[in-house]
Amino acid sequence: MTEGRNTRRSLGSGPVVSRRAALALAMAAGLVLPGLAQAQVKSVTIALTADAVILDPHAANELTGNIMFYHFYDALVTRTPELEFKPGLAESWQIVDDTTWVFKLRRGVKFHNGDELKASDVVYTIERLKKSLMASFVANVASARAIDDYTVEFKTPKPFAVLHMALAEVLIVNEKHTKAIGDEQMGLKPMGTGPYKLAQWIKEDRIEMEAFADYWRGKPKIDRVIFKPITNPATRTAALLTGGVDVIQDLSVRDVAGVQANPNFKVVTRPSLLNLVIALDTRDKSPTIDLPKNPMQDRRVREAIVRAINVDAIRTAIMNNFSTPSDQYVPASHLGYVPGLDFRKIYPFDLEKARSLMKEAGYENGFTMTLDTTNNRYVNDAAIAQGLAGMLSRINIKLNLNLMPRSNFFGYIRVPSDKSSFIMSGWDTPSGDAGNMYSVLMYSRNKKAGYGQANRGAFSNAEFDALIDQADATADVAKRNAFLQEATKIAVREIPMIPIHYEQDIYAAKNSVTVIPRMDKFIWAYEMDVK
Amino acid sequence: MFGYMIKRLIQMVVVLWAVSVLVFVMMSFTGDPTFMMVPLDATDEQIAQARRILGLDESHLVQYWRFLSNMAQGDFGRSFVFRQPALTLILERLPATLEIVFLAMALALLVAIPLGVYAGANPGKPASRAVMAGSLVGISLPGFWLGMVLIFIVAVKLQWLPSSGRGPTTEWFGLRVSFTSWEGFRHLILPAITLSIGTLAILMRIIRAEMVEVMKQDYIKFARAKGATAKGILFKHGLKNALIPLVTVFGLMLGDLIAFATLTETIFAWPGIGKLLVDSIYRGDRPVIVVYLMFVALMFVVVNFVVDVAYALIDPRIKIK
Repeated sequence: MTEGRNTRRSLGSGPVVSRRAALALAMAAGLVLPGLAQAQVKSVTIALTADAVILDPHAANELTGNIMFYHFYDALVTRTPELEFKPGLAESWQIVDDTTWVFKLRRGVKFHNGDELKASDVVYTIERLKKSLMASFVANVASARAIDDYTVEFKTPKPFAVLHMALAEVLIVNEKHTKAIGDEQMGLKPMGTGPYKLAQWIKEDRIEMEAFADYWRGKPKIDRVIFKPITNPATRTAALLTGGVDVIQDLSVRDVAGVQANPNFKVVTRPSLLNLVIALDTRDKSPTIDLPKNPMQDRRVREAIVRAINVDAIRTAIMNNFSTPSDQYVPASHLGYVPGLDFRKIYPFDLEKARSLMKEAGYENGFTMTLDTTNNRYVNDAAIAQGLAGMLSRINIKLNLNLMPRSNFFGYIRVPSDKSSFIMSGWDTPSGDAGNMYSVLMYSRNKKAGYGQANRGAFSNAEFDALIDQADATADVAKRNAFLQEATKIAVREIPMIPIHYEQDIYAAKNSVTVIPRMDKFIWAYEMDVK
Repeated sequence: MFGYMIKRLIQMVVVLWAVSVLVFVMMSFTGDPTFMMVPLDATDEQIAQARRILGLDESHLVQYWRFLSNMAQGDFGRSFVFRQPALTLILERLPATLEIVFLAMALALLVAIPLGVYAGANPGKPASRAVMAGSLVGISLPGFWLGMVLIFIVAVKLQWLPSSGRGPTTEWFGLRVSFTSWEGFRHLILPAITLSIGTLAILMRIIRAEMVEVMKQDYIKFARAKGATAKGILFKHGLKNALIPLVTVFGLMLGDLIAFATLTETIFAWPGIGKLLVDSIYRGDRPVIVVYLMFVALMFVVVNFVVDVAYALIDPRIKIK
């Protein structure tokens, strides 16, 4: 690492080394080794906010771990940075009947140990996942069967038009290797078909990877990648400015201007997938509202709340402009997104209208309720909660704040959510399909297994449920999209939840490094390059 | 001496047991860690399966009983998050912490002793007053602030030292250490300074206060009368008699720095055990928290024992009973 960095310095970026020294070094390099720049091992050091906890892709689902997994492993289907779905380890697939899919594997794909990828590895992966903590990844796979070495047949429990998109999260492990080393060692010694091999993992210090020369897409451009966990944002910025690292994740908002002003570095941003949403209770009686009837059952009250929330003020005053107000529940890349439909245009911030809606509904004098949210999970979550309390007080809704660390939060708000009326949390759908979000968060509770299990506001709409049922009964993606779009229209009309904004991902890097920010936040060195 | 050790051993077992009970009771209030492990859209069956995998499907009492009986067999439990033995997680991070703590303590002693002795022997001089004022600043400076300022000035502006992280390491009797190479040592300097400032200031004040007392004693006058050198009076007759409180505080500070260097480690992205504790609390990773706190309790018991033995060595009038 040190060698690579020193050499790059001497060859390129002047300000660090004095000009005379740089000249001398450049001359020396030129005299001795004319082809040094080409022969040089390319390396990049990336600072992340945390260390991975476990390198077994079937044992965890948190960001740092996910970033590592996709370097070591591949899925049958690949997600592009823009969340398009392209062939990965599978070169093609076809739908045989409503519940049967056949995937053709790419031939000659090598694992890091030299084994060739076979259909049996895919079948084993599915079976292992079903017994793991991440069983939900394969909830829509009933069974998998190897037809021959390069063909796998999947059965789904019901027609599921987006199986290929769901399989983009299923990383394929090597059956023989996994069985041989056991679960505990799988967490320490990843071995897949991915572009990088693990070289060294020193906990909380570094994860070093080296390029896998036989990678099926071609050898990676960067030979050596080092990830360093630097939790403290200011330290992360300092590490970039001092040359200790080349790229940092989550540049602190207060450092953006400073880094942008420095000609040696650049700042790269993009909206993330994480939609901050508020679930409104629609039950007859709401736990934190001391009234015989729950006011939020009235759609006019829900609309009044939406109109009283000034999302632009949240963006400018709390988020320093690093957020994108949400127009719908899922981003434009997803199935179920309705082009042209905009929550913010239908219900613009309008206090007059909000007050008159409250009056119409008979709640001119408002009511009191409690907002449950985190204080350490989402960007500025506590400040947003305080902002919401101020905004809703303008329509006489007194919002008490119940802020808690995330270790308590997700158990606290869990369905049946019998302590909550108004819950703010984030939701992201990397599978690129609104159906997942809708069936989990908005489908009526207790109607069907696997539906409505996180419907915290107990929203129930027969028309909406029917559309989800239809979407889940077709194996045709276009039809599914059409049903989900209708469902989106109903949700926007009925307001079971209020979408607030997408957080912004902010990276900073040396100018010499090409960084491609991904929608799913999974930094991938295979897509990067170093000049 | 033997009876004393037995007594200490029993005390230790009681302390460790109390810590384990406390942590278990506390953790039963902080919510179910299962919800942090499973996806938000997990169904009831998936959650039940996760609980089974993590060993959380039984009552707290049964879990505690299982923890105790496993420990009796030398198994300290396994982290929910890392799925590795909790003790391994702590031990593999320990050398990094010990490295900065020992350097910080050495630094603190090296500076505190001469300055404290000087200030104690010459309480009226302006230089002594300056030293005392400086020590107040040292005590009141928050470590994280000092760390940030050092990074900004020494690393970012002057570019003298690296801003964060641990340098290259080498194996040394099976331990991974970084002070053996110059580059590794450079990485140690800033965190060690940050960690040492508070301790340094406190030690210095204690030495000064004790020295002021000691220097008034008759035996100092006798030493002067018999013609001992100024240096001999200060260090042999003076400092040695001022050492008892210093040793006590030194022991406690040492334990404190090892166990709770968390802030400094976080600021400098130092791969030590302090960060592990904070992360584990954040993730509700009970097995790690229990073992960590028991480890800390054990360390304090040992440090106190060593301090008691040191008393007897320093002052022959003290007998260990």
